[in-house]
Amino acid sequence: QRSRSQNIVPCTVSQLLAAEQVDEVFRICDVEISQVTVVGIVRHAEKAPTNILYKVDDMTAAPMDVRQWVDTDEAGGENVVVPPGTYVKVAGHLRSFQNKKSLVAFKIMPLENMNEFTTHILEIVNAHMILRKNLMSASSVPPSFSSTGIRDMGGYGGVGSLPVNGLTAHQSQVLNLIKSCPVPEGMSLQELKVQLHSMSMSTIKQAVEFLSSEGHIYSTVDDDHYKSTDAE
Amino acid sequence: MGDIHEVPRPRIATGQLAQHIGKPVCFVGRVEKIHPTGKLFVLSDGVGKHTTVELSEPLDEEISGIIEVVGKVTNQATIMCVSYVQFREDKSPFDLELYNEALKIIHEFPDYFPFG
Repeated sequence: QRSRSQNIVPCTVSQLLAAEQVDEVFRICDVEISQVTVVGIVRHAEKAPTNILYKVDDMTAAPMDVRQWVDTDEAGGENVVVPPGTYVKVAGHLRSFQNKKSLVAFKIMPLENMNEFTTHILEIVNAHMILRKNLMSASSVPPSFSSTGIRDMGGYGGVGSLPVNGLTAHQSQVLNLIKSCPVPEGMSLQELKVQLHSMSMSTIKQAVEFLSSEGHIYSTVDDDHYKSTDAE
Repeated sequence: MGDIHEVPRPRIATGQLAQHIGKPVCFVGRVEKIHPTGKLFVLSDGVGKHTTVELSEPLDEEISGIIEVVGKVTNQATIMCVSYVQFREDKSPFDLELYNEALKIIHEFPDYFPFG
């Protein structure tokens, strides 16, 4: 049973087209992707009884097919067709059929603030850089992209996008261990050192200090024990 | 709408026109002036440098604010426009300077933002 990526990764159409598929899993430069966001302009919109087919263009390649299933029980039609010429943010799953890639969208939102388009560009670079670097850093703890809360990007709630949280690999590893600790008094520095044998105590302490000052963790019974502020 | 929309169109600023002569590009800028014939207009980029955009047919509407042009760079380092859209600014103004910074990033890290 493969572990599905929990992230929603901002991507360019060119990256999605270049993604390699092995069994059910897509990878962009070895980074596993499933749910993605794309920002582009609608070039074409075609309404069918059960779905709307869009072609969304972000200039990095030819426009990508984006399919949005329509709820046929819905009388009024919550799915209003977005007109061509509109910039949208699409959240959906990457699919491939007969070697052709497409997206199945669970949300398509016209951009009301075009600065989100600029932000998306920056988030793509940031996300792919972090994801690839985390793959390469040798560690005993798998990388985790814990959501620091629901990011208010255009209002599609319920899905945490990749946080721009600026944590280094060491800080992420320490945070993940602390998060995974179920006991009320949390994880001690000594336990962290045992688990992260490749990390020096001073590095661990620096990471703990940073995470604490950023509000990711808090001390419990004493300054040696920490719990995560994120409810998991 | 033409073949140009089926290929990668690198996002560039005025300073990069020379490196893209003959190639399809995407340019975002602020309308500075429109020629009386309507076949030519000037856009400024995020650092205030001007780019001339030419049209095969005159404009049939008033354009203003932020325009995104898709076209090919001519030998004179102008852009022969194939299509354009106006960015909506009814709710918030577009930060063109920030967009320029984003362009610098994507040109510095093409591995993470590939065109094509």
